[in-house]
Amino acid sequence: MTSMPTETVPTETAPTETVGEPELDEATTTDRPWLVIVWNDPVNLMSYVVFVLQKLFGYSREKATRLMLQVHREGKAVVSDGNREKAEADVARLHGYGLWATMEHPS
Amino acid sequence: MSPVFARDAEGGLELTLRTEERDLLRALPDELRALYEAGPDESDPVRGRLFPRAYLDPTAEDAEREWRDLVHPELIRGRVDALDRLLVSLDAAPDATRGTVVVPLDEDAVGALLSVLNDARLALGTRLGVTEDTDYDDLDPSDPRAPGLAAYAWLTFVEGELIETLLGDLPG
Repeated sequence: MTSMPTETVPTETAPTETVGEPELDEATTTDRPWLVIVWNDPVNLMSYVVFVLQKLFGYSREKATRLMLQVHREGKAVVSDGNREKAEADVARLHGYGLWATMEHPS
Repeated sequence: MSPVFARDAEGGLELTLRTEERDLLRALPDELRALYEAGPDESDPVRGRLFPRAYLDPTAEDAEREWRDLVHPELIRGRVDALDRLLVSLDAAPDATRGTVVVPLDEDAVGALLSVLNDARLALGTRLGVTEDTDYDDLDPSDPRAPGLAAYAWLTFVEGELIETLLGDLPG
């Protein structure tokens, strides 16, 4: 993502953290939801990502900003989850706004 | 600084910009329309970026194809509608006064402008290979990418202004 050209771009290097996926025991494997992931890209504005996450998912400014920063610093973030149909619909809506999103099922 | 967005009485926006800036915006829909009509193609970086895969798993080709067949016609139609909607607003704007044009945008036109600006930046940024470190303030005039990067930087400024305005409508 990118910030406005007139803004100061954050320069701190993000610590290498693993993106937190909830640890579930094997018994719940089949109930695990599909994860919808937004990936970092060099074009979309940080403010735009916040706007889209609020608009599409009704997230608060605080939650949308936290997810945006996770995408920016760690390269990706899980922005929603659910059954396969919901994940497919969420990915399509994110693509409609030009965000780079994919879905995956943790095995 | 031009261009600027201001609220109008009906809850829409007024975009004030120079005629040459209006002309730049006016040219975007034709370029995007050609990309949309060419359709999704993962082997083309620009069209691959506008229409990415849904399934991260590269072996999920059947699911990917089904998803693509289901959603792409609608995704393309929505984007083409945005092009047409923006053109209507730009062409309906009153004539320029002293080189300045004021374009009234209702809610649909605001969404259309945002869609066109963002897709134009995705297409141009991908074609130019911009990175998060690209410096637009110090472009080398001998760089063949300089005109494209200057246009990209202007589009980024306009979109940033629009988003700041729209974020004001959402819960803070």
